[in-house]
Amino acid sequence: MKNIRVGVDIGGTFTDIVIMDKTGEIITKKVSSTVDNYARAISTGLAAALGEHGLAGGDVAEVLHGTTVASNAILEMKGARTGLITTKGFRDVLELRLLRMPKLYDLHWDKPPTLVSRELRLEVTERIDAKGKVLAPLDMDEVDAVIDQLLAEKVEAISVCLLHAYANDAHEIAIRDAIRRKAPEMVLSVSSEVLPEIKEYERTSTTVINSYVKPIVGRYLTSLIGDLKSIEVTSPLLLMQSNGGLTPAETAAEMPVHIIESGPAAGVIGAQSLARRAGLDKVISFDMGGTTAKAALVEDGKVSRAEEYSVGGGIMIGSRLMSGAGYALKVPAIDLAEVGAGGGSIIAVDAGGVPQVGPESAGSFPGPVCYGLGGTEPTITDANVVLGYINPTHLAGGSVKLDAAKSHAVLREKVASKLGVGVAHAAYGAHLVAAANMIRAIKAVSSERGRDPREFGLVAFGGNGPLFAAGMARSLGIRTVIVPPAAGVFSSVGLLFSDVEYHLSRSYRQVIGTLDTAALVAAWNALESQARDKLHADGFTDAQIVLTRTAKLHYRGQAYELTVPMPDGPITAETAAHLGDAFGDEHERTYGHRAGPEEPVELVSLNLSASGELDTMRGAGRKAPPIPADPPGERQAYFGTTHGWMPTPILLRGHLAERVWTGPVIVEEYDCTCVVPPGMAVALDEYGNIVIRTVAD
Amino acid sequence: MTEPTIDPFEFELFKNALLSVADEMALTVHRTTYSAVLRDNLDYSTAFFDAKGRLVAQGFSLPGHLGSMPTALAAIMRRFGDTMKPGDIFALNDPFDGGMHLPDLFVFQPIFIDGVLMAFAGSISHHTDMGGRVAGSNAADSTEIYQEGIRVPVLRIFDGGVPNDTFFAFIEKNVRVPAKVAGDIRAQLAACHIADAAFRELCAQYGPPKVERLMAELLDYSERLARAEIAKLPDGVFTFEDWLDDDGIERGKPVPIKVAIEKRGDSIRFDWTGSAPQVKGALNATLSFAKSVSYCALISIIDNAAPNNDGVFRAVEVVAPLGTIVNCTLPASVAARGLTGFRMIDVAFGALAKMVPDRVFACSDGGNSNISIGGYYADKTPYIYCDFTCAAWGARPWADGIDGNSNIFANMAGQSVEVTEAEQPVLIEDYEILADRGGAGKYRGGMPYRRTYRFLEEEASLSVRSDRRDIRPYGLYGGAPGAPSFNYITRAGGQQELYPSKFSTLLRRGDVFVHEIAGAGGWGDPLEREVARVMKDVRQGLVSVAAARDLYGVILSANGTSADEAATATQRATLRKARGWTEAPFVQREEIAPLAAAAE
Repeated sequence: MKNIRVGVDIGGTFTDIVIMDKTGEIITKKVSSTVDNYARAISTGLAAALGEHGLAGGDVAEVLHGTTVASNAILEMKGARTGLITTKGFRDVLELRLLRMPKLYDLHWDKPPTLVSRELRLEVTERIDAKGKVLAPLDMDEVDAVIDQLLAEKVEAISVCLLHAYANDAHEIAIRDAIRRKAPEMVLSVSSEVLPEIKEYERTSTTVINSYVKPIVGRYLTSLIGDLKSIEVTSPLLLMQSNGGLTPAETAAEMPVHIIESGPAAGVIGAQSLARRAGLDKVISFDMGGTTAKAALVEDGKVSRAEEYSVGGGIMIGSRLMSGAGYALKVPAIDLAEVGAGGGSIIAVDAGGVPQVGPESAGSFPGPVCYGLGGTEPTITDANVVLGYINPTHLAGGSVKLDAAKSHAVLREKVASKLGVGVAHAAYGAHLVAAANMIRAIKAVSSERGRDPREFGLVAFGGNGPLFAAGMARSLGIRTVIVPPAAGVFSSVGLLFSDVEYHLSRSYRQVIGTLDTAALVAAWNALESQARDKLHADGFTDAQIVLTRTAKLHYRGQAYELTVPMPDGPITAETAAHLGDAFGDEHERTYGHRAGPEEPVELVSLNLSASGELDTMRGAGRKAPPIPADPPGERQAYFGTTHGWMPTPILLRGHLAERVWTGPVIVEEYDCTCVVPPGMAVALDEYGNIVIRTVAD
Repeated sequence: MTEPTIDPFEFELFKNALLSVADEMALTVHRTTYSAVLRDNLDYSTAFFDAKGRLVAQGFSLPGHLGSMPTALAAIMRRFGDTMKPGDIFALNDPFDGGMHLPDLFVFQPIFIDGVLMAFAGSISHHTDMGGRVAGSNAADSTEIYQEGIRVPVLRIFDGGVPNDTFFAFIEKNVRVPAKVAGDIRAQLAACHIADAAFRELCAQYGPPKVERLMAELLDYSERLARAEIAKLPDGVFTFEDWLDDDGIERGKPVPIKVAIEKRGDSIRFDWTGSAPQVKGALNATLSFAKSVSYCALISIIDNAAPNNDGVFRAVEVVAPLGTIVNCTLPASVAARGLTGFRMIDVAFGALAKMVPDRVFACSDGGNSNISIGGYYADKTPYIYCDFTCAAWGARPWADGIDGNSNIFANMAGQSVEVTEAEQPVLIEDYEILADRGGAGKYRGGMPYRRTYRFLEEEASLSVRSDRRDIRPYGLYGGAPGAPSFNYITRAGGQQELYPSKFSTLLRRGDVFVHEIAGAGGWGDPLEREVARVMKDVRQGLVSVAAARDLYGVILSANGTSADEAATATQRATLRKARGWTEAPFVQREEIAPLAAAAE
């Protein structure tokens, strides 16, 4: 009987598999990723996990999957050989970008190489203006010639992006059809289909990225479906998108531009789901792994999304104002702030005699010195071992052996003795510096967006998140920290709580007050029927479909837009007036002021998110874990000069079900370790979450 | 009282916290501003100072603002140092007393803790308009400061928390877009307010004496790191000279800029003596700007991880004689001094290239070109198109110059062609990288681009502030100079007109204006360029077949896709013999005869 659901999240080191049955019971499995073919680890790992629990492939109702295969293709420059057809005079839009650099005073900076080499960027005579009027007709002879030229160059994919195609797609469609006639199998991306929005660089870049990763994603998904079939899993395969919604594998293969940031999205959705069930309006998700830490905002049950971002731009370096790195992608994605802080972050003393943590990382190999795999530089994990936070002999239930003496020796030699301080002091200092770096990520998604972090709860997960969360929360004035079950594989768990989702948009530039309501209604209807068609094709009924309208607006002349919700129901003149007011409110909330009523407000685009709610088992409330038979252990842990070394109870999660504990307490689990500093109260809630109160109520 | 001791970790945490205050100030300006200049071009900076007015932490910053804030604060402290009290806020823009050019308004707030002055928060923003004879207060052809707009002397704009209504009313009546300017001043005040609150938290956490000590240590730390890096540079005096085409008033008369960089031990001195006397056109710079240029050049060539603060500046001396284009006096016009800054940075890098040949690039595009098209629609509503376009980096001793990129002394974003066409009465007919324009070299200079504007309304004024038309960007160590910039107009009637680098004219419907930015200089001997690199450029259409043959000595084989090795070897030998170098010349540049007044 098909009654189990499977979430699979692939990381560079591990592939996490989570199986959830109808009662909400979770089985987790961590296997090494197979870098040559990621699909293999999934099928073998899943087969093993099913076998261990007496389940079969045929029991699987659906497989939900988060993957980095698309972003890796870009990071490693291993995408398809791609051609671009564009308007005469504009072949260099992709190269010129926005002219800006992400770093100052750095003569060594280089632009990332374009994903389409210049000789494969070809022009055709045609011109459309901003209103969609044809100024020069498309020269079909030239179209034929450039297609032939690209075919002779043996491209694997072609992108078409003409100026103002968002306003009139006729020329792009004509080129698309001509390519289909000449090369029916050619992988194609057309800007008016991928992103029908104004701004040529963002639209071209997004369209090209779609082409660039399409063949790779297609091959990967075909291979994965085949492998799953070989273990008798024939259920639907759904992919996590960058925006936090799921999409069927076939759609992902057609529009892979939406799954570029598939990897980190699922954890945030998990935090959202947890917040909804626990009745929390506002949480910040905090995910810390081996190399980076990521923060995102969930407000009123909704994940905060960014309209555009760049892929392969490296992690955030200090200021968010330093744009210009990586490749621009203008598709909705969960708004994540990322910093280079993880268990592998290296601790060093700079030339000025000041300790630094990261952004260099020992990665998963050689990893921290205590792993004994050849690491020579002290890392944050080594510091946590010295502090007694991490079990000094092993991790992951004994499968990873640790050598605490090595951590002590390397921290003494490379940090403490250089600074003239004790080893514990050095380790604690490094722990705080890493925490301060990660606090910047949390501020980036909260206070920098006009949100006060003190009003939020912190949901901490990832292998290292719960080691730092409570201390960070206290510095930020956050009162509650929640560490969910299976926190170390929480991204996979998050997959199980996602919906199928599409985001559609179109440019629509009109000043509020002069809007043609009939035209606006027609534009919305077109978007909505397009969305329904997609969800119907995926097998959803109208009852399962939820449409959410938003609009982007700005004061005329402003370079940036703000997104405001648009009411459901019939669209009338009042709807338009409401949009103007709602925009003023949001402008005030985000920027602290609004313009006077004389300032024209311009509608810029219509945006529709359409979700199909999966009516399958959504994980009923989990039971609290059993109270362990063995009493808690104890070891010494260090909590700064105020507290010094303290005998600290070492608990299993189940021990917390007995009563409320007061820190210091350390909770050791298979996949992560949670540190509760002195004085904080910690307990379990009804879902088995660890709940830490950072201040006395 | 004993000095509080400093724990190294506490110091690192404090350092991050204070830098993050300066960053939060910058983000506040960004979030609350009205204008595209601030939002897209990030033409503003924020900073935090100790009670003595020493710059401790700088937020996101335009390189051109690096030396300006301490100068401005010093002017405020000279005037009001004895009478400052909580709730005061000060402002100025006067280039002759702390400012740089009129659009740049400085705002500073002293921060008192328990009645004791502990610190200052400050910001500088480029405002959309400051009055004067030309919209934007940015004209290159003003000849006195009085034409350029209103001068704000050092003023107390909040007195114990009470706004100085005279100041705000005066601004409102004298600028063209009062709502925008007032909104952007509010953004600056908001940034100071954020800094005040954040700094109070730090004082509560550490205690004021410790904070004072930590700020002092932050300066010493930066100084230690900067001096250690400077000490690694070779000692000596290194000179360089370059020229602006002209000042826009005295056509065809090159304006010299000169520097002597003297490096001894762990200190460095930039002496700009020998630069032109101040000019009639609005290209005159202030001493603070000369400092910004000097700091930017130095920081770009050392491996400096320390915060840019007063500690770094202690190791750098800047000399600029009064009455010259690099340190002007009343009544000089200064609005377009940015261009002089770009030339100064070219000159500073030229001198540094003699000191550390392996760390410095050849000359870039010459800095951004400013193109403004302004007029009125039939219904008398105004439009102003204003763009600063940057193009190409000089070749580096290890890599080609970057094609189509912001200059290192600015960090401007480009404006979208589609958005421009949706909002302005222009059609941009092309926006394309130009082949063969970057100077040839072992590493070639960056290729610039062209923008072609077709004007779609009745009549507008076009004003262009560019350079490097007469005097090309230099190449280094055998690298060729970059190609010059060009301005030309094809009138609706078909008449072709060539223009100098700085000019104004009327555009009428159907006129087509073309601006081509200068190419950047090359680095190293072009005949040593790897043949594969030349072939890649040929394949990409960045270097022509003729240039490959004549400049790089690379001959294509019959199939046209690969190089003919034997023919290439022969060609290279021929070229080598013909030029007769005994060693690669340090600098190559070229002057083109200025346009005679013919086109006017």
